[in-house]
Amino acid sequence: MGSVLDIYCRLIGVQIRSQLQYRMSFLFDTIATGLATGVSFLTLALLLQRFGSIAGWTLSEIAFLYGIVEVAFGFMDMLFSGFDPDSFGKQIRLGRFDQLLLRPVDITVQVLGSEFLLRRLGRIAQGVAVLGYAIATLNIHWTLPKILFLPLIFTSLVCFFGGLFMIGATITFWTIQPIEVVNIFTYGGSEMMSYPMHIYQDWMRRFFTYIIPAIFLNYYPALYLLGKPDPFHFPSFAPFLSPVVGFGMLGLASLFWQFGIRHYKSTGS
Amino acid sequence: MRLFFELCKRSIQRQLTYRAAIVAGLLTNFFFGILRAAILTALYGPRTEVAGISIQGAVTYTGLSQAIIGFLSLFSWYQIINSVYTGDVASDLLKPMNYFSLWMAQDLGRAVVDLFLRGFTLMLAYALLMNISTPTGWQWAALVISLFLAWLVSFSWRFLVNLVSFWSPNAIGIGRLFFLLSWFMSGFLMPLRFFPEWVSHICYLTPFPYTVNTVIEVYLGVVKGPALIQALLGQILWAGILILAGQIALKAGVRRLVILGG
Repeated sequence: MGSVLDIYCRLIGVQIRSQLQYRMSFLFDTIATGLATGVSFLTLALLLQRFGSIAGWTLSEIAFLYGIVEVAFGFMDMLFSGFDPDSFGKQIRLGRFDQLLLRPVDITVQVLGSEFLLRRLGRIAQGVAVLGYAIATLNIHWTLPKILFLPLIFTSLVCFFGGLFMIGATITFWTIQPIEVVNIFTYGGSEMMSYPMHIYQDWMRRFFTYIIPAIFLNYYPALYLLGKPDPFHFPSFAPFLSPVVGFGMLGLASLFWQFGIRHYKSTGS
Repeated sequence: MRLFFELCKRSIQRQLTYRAAIVAGLLTNFFFGILRAAILTALYGPRTEVAGISIQGAVTYTGLSQAIIGFLSLFSWYQIINSVYTGDVASDLLKPMNYFSLWMAQDLGRAVVDLFLRGFTLMLAYALLMNISTPTGWQWAALVISLFLAWLVSFSWRFLVNLVSFWSPNAIGIGRLFFLLSWFMSGFLMPLRFFPEWVSHICYLTPFPYTVNTVIEVYLGVVKGPALIQALLGQILWAGILILAGQIALKAGVRRLVILGG
């Protein structure tokens, strides 16, 4: 176990050092990555000047939802860069995945270590800024359980989105091309979770409650932390389902990934 | 001119081979469309009209803005930059055709396919599933003209930004910043009418609103009569300025370009 962690750290270390070689380019990319998502929050902030609130939620409350998702998604995007279906699909197409399979190190660790996009720090920083704004302007009644629960919310979200990346990557074993539909769940999912779930139509919300239970990852924990009433009257343990959903998704994704590896056929290129 | 249309035709054929990508893109655009429709509907709440745009118009906007993503290459277009990186730019510059027209012909072909297969199909799906408005009578003519001019403005600025690669190895980074700016300033993220006036004024100092926002306002009929003429003239003016700037930059850039080859 110790040696696996050691190899992972070495792989990541190489990635980080090589990305820092072009300092200006790295700085530029990091700022652009942060601005890319920051600009959509700015848009919302400007819009709320005209509209006031969105279905009873103020800008600060939306910022809370948005900030948590952004920070978590940013971390996931950095840790799971190797599984990003777009870049992973390319590895498959070019036959580079075969090289990894030949090495005497656990394949999952190698894929995780094959890419580590440090420029995602820009997105994380942007999320931290928005979340900071939310916490500073909201009057959250912090208790010890709430403070202890916060890291668990982030971890669950990271696991959830990481699982989606793994599933998207595994599908490319068969399709070779990354399938863009996965983006609906990853990028679409993160955007959707940035808003309170009660603004969506029933069929959409039911889908994200019962089929892909994303509602428990951000919306319910936020209701609990902000002390807001639940419009759907779920049992009071609903907010605490987030680790179940997050770790569950990652677990299922790992099983699918293992299944995919066993059935992997090289493109031969 | 014959060469131009031949290139355009080839580009259409090439684009048509990626049918799976078109369907996937369509599904993604549609999902984001209905997501944003839900957000705007929630923002409107009990209001029926905000800043001259009805709730029906706002829902239409969410479809239309997604429908033209492909047509106007709203997310990214770094083909010239990539050709500089690979060295292909050398053979392109040797071709017996103006370099600007060469890319314009290819982009037109791509845009036509995206307009019909992604744009039109998406609006059709929207019309079937949501309550949207459609232009009437002469508005269609204005829309077609405005769509063509929007593409012209869009292509010209994308060409100009891509030319940065003739000078700088960091062109993609600079390109990303411009695309980013364009999402906000073009009205793609939200109609410019919803922003505070001083913000939309600043946006209108740039060519970006003449791509997405003008098309939207023409489609929804929020600009009429003299305002409509003014909007179309704005598009023509910016297209002219940007095409001219593109030619000047090209002349200067060719002298600066170092072919690296790959």
